[in-house]
Amino acid sequence: MSQIAIAIVLGCCALGAGVAMIAGIGPGIGEGQAVAKACEAIGRQPEAKSEVTSTMIMGCAIAETTGIYALVIAILLIFVAPGSFAAIVKSF
Amino acid sequence: MKKIDPAVKKETLRIAVGTVLLSGVMELVFVLLGKWDLTVLFGNLVGAFAAVLNFFLMGLTVVKCVSLPPDKAAAKIRVSQGARLLMLAAICGLAALFPKVFNLIAAVVPLLFPRLVIMAWQLLGKKDKSPVCAAESDGETAEETTTEDTEN
Repeated sequence: MSQIAIAIVLGCCALGAGVAMIAGIGPGIGEGQAVAKACEAIGRQPEAKSEVTSTMIMGCAIAETTGIYALVIAILLIFVAPGSFAAIVKSF
Repeated sequence: MKKIDPAVKKETLRIAVGTVLLSGVMELVFVLLGKWDLTVLFGNLVGAFAAVLNFFLMGLTVVKCVSLPPDKAAAKIRVSQGARLLMLAAICGLAALFPKVFNLIAAVVPLLFPRLVIMAWQLLGKKDKSPVCAAESDGETAEETTTEDTEN
């Protein structure tokens, strides 16, 4: 019985990690749109290239953190949570 | 070898310094909690290196993309973001696979440091002196001057 419970826990952890990584899609799309707009802005005002680039780098770094949060959660779910949950299940 | 954009160099250096400082704080927290050992140090080194490398690669991609047409730039940055995320996952996976060498928590937490550095930088008001803000204030001055000229 406990083996089935542990298997369910492991499966749910893997599923949860996969679902968490869906959040990794958003930053890519957002960064893509931001850079596309930056390209248009530089096309209109080529003299502002360095300023736009500098701001873009910071903006992309902020946007990317969302994906990294998802990655952190996924890694914790895959590598840390199963052991903890399995220990809890075994203790019953 | 291609020349690295000065903006990327400057921002990466800033992020690297901030990450090192925050890593020091994290080590201190581990020491205070009584959980410090060499695995924490190695994990921290790996995580901080991955965070700075990720930022540097992102900067290089952004600089490369701004000279492309918008649709190609968007596609390229999406691919780059996915690749960098995979790189981070691989590095964290490596840290997780060798728990006797790397502490996983100490390897994962530094990945969030660049954002903290940027937030701290903005909170401290250092960003006000950047060329962007200077250009914005110049723009306002120019507009005001133009308006005054028109009125006269």
